[in-house]
Amino acid sequence: MSRVESKTMIQIIAGQFMEHRLGLLGAIVVVLFIVTALCAPVISKLSGHDPEAQNIYGRNLPPFSRVTLSQDAKEEALEKVLDANPVLVKKIIATFNKHKIITGGEDELFELLHTITPDQINQISNIDQEEAAKFRQIVGSFSKTHLLGTDELGRDLLIRLIYGTRVSIGIGIVVALAAMFIGLIIGSIAGYYGGVVDIVLSRIIDSLLSLPLLPLMIVLAAVDLKNIPFLHSLISGDNESIVKLFIILVLFSWMKVARLARGSILSIREHEFILAAKTLGAKDITIIITHIIPNIVAPLIVAISLNIGESILNEAALSFLGLGIQPPTPSWGNILFNALETINQNPILAIAPGILILLAVVSFNFIGDGLQDAIDPKAIKR
Amino acid sequence: MSNYIIRRLIQAFFVLIILSYLCFSILSLMPGDPVDVMITSNPKITKEDITRLKKLYGLDKPNYVRYFNWLTSALSGDLGYSRVYKIKVEKLLGERLINTFILSVCSLVMAVTIGIAIGVYAGMKKGSKFDYIVNFISYGLISMPSFWLAIVLIMIFSIWIPILPAGGTRTVGDNSIVGLTSILDRIRYLILPALSLASLQLGIFVRYARSAMIEALGNDYIRTAKAKGLGPSRILWNHAFRNALIPLITVVTLSLSGIFSGAIITETVFSYQGVGKLVYDSIIGNDFNVAMVSFMISVAMILTMNLLADILYGVVDPRISYK
Repeated sequence: MSRVESKTMIQIIAGQFMEHRLGLLGAIVVVLFIVTALCAPVISKLSGHDPEAQNIYGRNLPPFSRVTLSQDAKEEALEKVLDANPVLVKKIIATFNKHKIITGGEDELFELLHTITPDQINQISNIDQEEAAKFRQIVGSFSKTHLLGTDELGRDLLIRLIYGTRVSIGIGIVVALAAMFIGLIIGSIAGYYGGVVDIVLSRIIDSLLSLPLLPLMIVLAAVDLKNIPFLHSLISGDNESIVKLFIILVLFSWMKVARLARGSILSIREHEFILAAKTLGAKDITIIITHIIPNIVAPLIVAISLNIGESILNEAALSFLGLGIQPPTPSWGNILFNALETINQNPILAIAPGILILLAVVSFNFIGDGLQDAIDPKAIKR
Repeated sequence: MSNYIIRRLIQAFFVLIILSYLCFSILSLMPGDPVDVMITSNPKITKEDITRLKKLYGLDKPNYVRYFNWLTSALSGDLGYSRVYKIKVEKLLGERLINTFILSVCSLVMAVTIGIAIGVYAGMKKGSKFDYIVNFISYGLISMPSFWLAIVLIMIFSIWIPILPAGGTRTVGDNSIVGLTSILDRIRYLILPALSLASLQLGIFVRYARSAMIEALGNDYIRTAKAKGLGPSRILWNHAFRNALIPLITVVTLSLSGIFSGAIITETVFSYQGVGKLVYDSIIGNDFNVAMVSFMISVAMILTMNLLADILYGVVDPRISYK
């Protein structure tokens, strides 16, 4: 008799998912996106690019262009650092005098900013001391390479896209999770209690599903929150547009999950183990959470991953119409919106965010598809 | 069947009423009513004037009274004036509706013919390289933001290879364009918006046509037909394709509402003068009467399409009964 290795459900599903090539690819891309989004501040610090730093002398630059600050801006930048740290000035001057880079005081240091040669930079880099490194860093920050060029206000496009990833993917995931909770609660109530409750809730779900979403979202997005005192007090000025968008998207994306939960619960409700739990005196909420929801986790995850893709698309569409995330906060949608006016001179500004949206949505759809195949018992190969 | 249709119509009517009230309330939350706009443009206005004006236009009354007033006048045929265009709303709508209709029909025809042809072929050759590529592309089309495709199309066909106009509905200010040339002119302006609007539906149709074909080909009656010795083309067209059409009809009718939603964005990008652009412009421009009417038209159209899809489903598939 040959021994068959036993596998848990999750192992089976994971194995099946790994075989779905596109699904796996999607998962890898999504992980990359999430890592980039989480590391955005680190990337910003390392590269010296700030998503909101404007530069009117370097607007709509092509990819790989180097930008050097004007003389005034250089002095200002150095002054800012030195003012904050007077001890550092003395150290730098002392060290540089010792190495014969300058002869004199602070004025010479500022003079050096304009006359510095590559040789001198090398010399400074070779000095193995903290203050020299600091000075080198300041000088280095004067000229930046914009890998993807700059946008219509001279901001670095790449760093804005990276920060946009945070907003767009973040909104997608948070909306999908919130929609899942609301959908689960409403769907469970409808499915578990049945009767009038079910009829009313199902009607609401059906009619919301049959509504034209985009016009409704546009109408809602145009609402001035100041006219709703209750909501207005909850939202602070800066992220008002993000919270508003979040509410609108959640409002219209919980229905599919609710339908799914209701349908599954209707069939699970009739099983013997529910009767057994009831006879043992379990409360309704306990039965729903511990006995019913684990049974619908698999289709739920599929629904979430498809929902994330949809939310990203909706966010982009609303931001693109100028009704979603408001600048200066970057999101893929509003970068595209701003790009519209300059597609003539700066095509990459319009192309890059679109590719990212496409990539993210396709990846989430692939994951959903892969999971669907993986959890479908008919498709499991043994 | 007729019972079912009547019930659905009554339902749709109530949905419309509820939605119109909701929309009315939401729109009144938009910043600024007409009098507020007047106040900002006229610094000399007095407090008494403001109250008098608000009273004159009924803006001091509670929301539901204003809604009722709007509804009765709208039902009696008076849709009000547009604040932006300074003309009656019904005059604004006529041409816009036709424009949107032309755009929707063009993109639908494009998506249906191309989508079903490719999808059916891919379904017949399941597992081939062609099938794989089609699958991949249709996924891409479904996930692609239509406005981005619109921008890319503009970049390619009106900036890099300037052969098509970047936006608009027809050449403005040229009186020499009449008759056939004017139709050709309209078509030139229609190509890019119709393409970008069709892309999403195209992806959906390909996927549905493919899976419907695969499912139909897997049925027992196909095996029976083969056993009887029927030729492959007869099996394919008379047996498989006709059965595959059933789910496709619903998908196509349901996609009409998607096309209409999509038209808002597409028309805005191409500044194509249709109802979708009107919805957007009126909401952005705080044009209350126009926003209300164009919104209601889009909702009514979408509800009608949904109903049509359900009815058609019963007509083509005798297994479904409505009770």
